[in-house]
Amino acid sequence: MTRRGAPVKVLQRVPLFADLTKHEVQQIARLFKERRFSEGETVVQEGSGGAAFFVIESGEATVLIRGKKRTTLKPNDYFGEIAMIDEGTRMATITASSELVCYGLTYWDFRPLVEANGVIGWKLLERMAKMLRAARED
Amino acid sequence: MKRVVPLEQALDDTIFGSKAVGLGQAIRDGLPVPPGVALSGAIVEAVAAGERPAIKEVVRWVRPLGGPLAVRSSAMDEDGAAASFAGQHLTLLNVPSADELSSALSKIWWSANSDSAITYRQRVGLFSRPSVGVVVQVLLDPDTAGVMFTKNPVTGVDERVIEASWGLGEAVVAGIVIPDHFRVDRSGRVLERKPGLKRIVVRGVPGGGTIEEKVSPELVERLCLDDDQLHELNQLAGRCEHVYGPARDVEWAIASGTLYLLQCRAITKSGR
Repeated sequence: MTRRGAPVKVLQRVPLFADLTKHEVQQIARLFKERRFSEGETVVQEGSGGAAFFVIESGEATVLIRGKKRTTLKPNDYFGEIAMIDEGTRMATITASSELVCYGLTYWDFRPLVEANGVIGWKLLERMAKMLRAARED
Repeated sequence: MKRVVPLEQALDDTIFGSKAVGLGQAIRDGLPVPPGVALSGAIVEAVAAGERPAIKEVVRWVRPLGGPLAVRSSAMDEDGAAASFAGQHLTLLNVPSADELSSALSKIWWSANSDSAITYRQRVGLFSRPSVGVVVQVLLDPDTAGVMFTKNPVTGVDERVIEASWGLGEAVVAGIVIPDHFRVDRSGRVLERKPGLKRIVVRGVPGGGTIEEKVSPELVERLCLDDDQLHELNQLAGRCEHVYGPARDVEWAIASGTLYLLQCRAITKSGR
């Protein structure tokens, strides 16, 4: 049985939404839809177009860039936002390393959400800046 | 518009998608389509979002159909001349009953919002919010099923080309078998009968989903359609062309001796 939107408590644990009020999170939560992946299933494929941004509720996923393992995603992590921002391709391949329960927000809901909410936009900028610095150190 | 209607009342392809409206038209014109209902794109999205009133409404309509069910996507711009979404959007066969429908609809909604579907939309210049209707029908347990082109899609010759195999038509559509190949002219005269290698049969399994089983050796190369059935298929081709227009790509199945139309769309490639 699918649940209505994402549970507010799940989104409140996600750093991207941490500074929002409960009411704001409640509004956003309704836009999300549950998506489940089986162990071993490819969640996103590097080079593919991007349809949605995801928050992990439970389970883990492996991130590979050009075939090299970079990190493991865990509950409360989020991914997929870069292709939402520039309408470009996925920068990594993400594979469910266990049964994975996510909540997804498609491009058509993600973009208006960020455009309307400077707090979320700023958090995304911070994350982009961290990624730029990390890329320089690699 | 969050709506569910009997298939024969699906009239607007911007609400229910082209597959639902096409099948609705077929029923209204007396073609043999298995019973079913059409779900609007809005109610499919509401179910995927877990909205309980939408789930209750869908279950209320689907439960009288019984089970098992065939749950097929019916995208708004699906099967159009410019862009075919065949293969992008999910079809789920053998969903056991209305109670399992919510999860099936969620999967279909996500298939229309998947990375591969979006990549395809970008490639064909259709980068717009997808909306996917759904057709829910009783799943047949066919003896034989397959596809039929009402005009030869390779040569463009005015003849029926039929490909058939045992069990569900997925064996033919997914290329799991080398199907039997037939050509029939408009008068019903059989021009060619070429047995395939039908080593696998796809069937529904209790509890949901489908299974690929080995075909008994004596059936692997035995033709799965006789001349009477080919004649009946030729008649169906004529009726489909009468309703939809020339050059159609038809999915069909024969269950308990009755021929059913499962889908009818324009041939996307033709020799001429």
